[in-house]
Amino acid sequence: MMFLRRQLPLLITMVTGLVMAAQYYVPHPASEQLLTTVTKWLQIIGGFALVLGITSLFHVHASKIRRKEAGWAYSLVLYVGMLGTIIVGLWNGGKESVDGALTSFGWVYSYTLVPLQGTMFAILAFFIASAAYRSFRARSREAAVLLVAAVIVMMGRVPLGEYMLPISGDLSSWILNVLNASVRRAILIGVSLGAVALSFKIIFGVERSYLGGGKE
Amino acid sequence: MSLAERMLRIDRRIIFLVIGLCTLLPLLFPVGLPIKISSEVRGVYDYIENLPEGSVFLLSLDFDPASKPELYPQAIAILRHAFKKNLRVVAMTLWVSGTGLADQILSQTAKEAGKENGKDYVFLGWSPGGSAVILNMGQDLYNAFPADYGGKATKGLPVLAGVQNLRDVTYAVSLGAGNPGVEAWYVFGKDKYKFELGGGCTGVIAPGLYPLLRSGQINGLIGGLRGAAEYETLIGQKGKAVAGMDAQSATHLAIIVLVAICNLFYFSLRRQQRRHDGLGS
Repeated sequence: MMFLRRQLPLLITMVTGLVMAAQYYVPHPASEQLLTTVTKWLQIIGGFALVLGITSLFHVHASKIRRKEAGWAYSLVLYVGMLGTIIVGLWNGGKESVDGALTSFGWVYSYTLVPLQGTMFAILAFFIASAAYRSFRARSREAAVLLVAAVIVMMGRVPLGEYMLPISGDLSSWILNVLNASVRRAILIGVSLGAVALSFKIIFGVERSYLGGGKE
Repeated sequence: MSLAERMLRIDRRIIFLVIGLCTLLPLLFPVGLPIKISSEVRGVYDYIENLPEGSVFLLSLDFDPASKPELYPQAIAILRHAFKKNLRVVAMTLWVSGTGLADQILSQTAKEAGKENGKDYVFLGWSPGGSAVILNMGQDLYNAFPADYGGKATKGLPVLAGVQNLRDVTYAVSLGAGNPGVEAWYVFGKDKYKFELGGGCTGVIAPGLYPLLRSGQINGLIGGLRGAAEYETLIGQKGKAVAGMDAQSATHLAIIVLVAICNLFYFSLRRQQRRHDGLGS
């Protein structure tokens, strides 16, 4: 039983990890065929993961409704919305439009999901402005540098800013292309090296938290 | 409470009102300030402009309705350009919630350009797997998408003649609002299957993609509404992005003024407190 729960998954992970890492450097047709098959598996597993995610979501919210936890009414709205969309989606075979005409599933998508998501994102502008007013203060030298850079980029990214301060466009471009790109690159290299180290730890069984149940 | 203190604790609804007015008024009364074209956007435009007729152009609309205000105008402008150049357009999405939107965008622009589904363009839709879909398409496009969004078999479609995998794509552009998006298309697509790649993204994530741009991993970047407005200007068809630039100009200016006011009162309050502390001691 322990072999099935621990050793076998570790063995599968190690063999798959090493084979797929080596595959990248081998252009032989057999190696390419292996990649084709494995990526198809990945897609199938991705489909199952979606079902698993939805099932888990239903389970979490069902228990919230059953126990009448705080905000359980929102869980009910989620249930109604999700079940309603699934039913309408299945009824229309997952099609949002047929020959250019909206189906009922397309109607739900176009007139509920699109405006709701758009609204959520749009109100960010208001909150960002309010937060900027309250917290964007030159409390230290570093904060002052950040403030000046932000103002230049904000001016340089809009026609009115470039009209009022013509140099802001070039300055903004320099900040993004030189300062920002170099710092981001350093972060990217660090993150990538971290990812390589973590991958080795997973492949060789040092990191086992993905198996569940914490470390042995 | 002093004036500085009162101003620093201003009711946030006043700020909301200022931002609301700065958004609404320029939309109602547009000014139409000239838009300067950046080299990042020109990179994508020039590449499409120089592609020979019939080249395979892949557009991955990797966003959901939340990013519609910025990426919808980008998608419309790029598709108008691609159809004008008579490219074979292969569209798809890696974001399940963006499928309907992507279909609407493609159908609308294709209809406008008088293009035929299956012959001039195809919408592959969405397939599960995220970044793995890119790898799968790189190995065999028909394996990743056996049928298009309408359920028609992809094998044998005139628009895909001579296309077996991503190696046969001349140019790909990912309009991404996050992950999977532009970065995934580079890591899992361009790096292995050697096609040219361009990117488009929301303003928020654009700074994160500059390292890819500077190193030539992507040949151009359309960032946010400003990028879309530049592209609309380049193709000579001004749309929603150009219309929105006045509103964006006004809101940026409003935020700059608000931040300046806040700092002015912050320093004034600090000076008052220091003077008070000095008198106290």
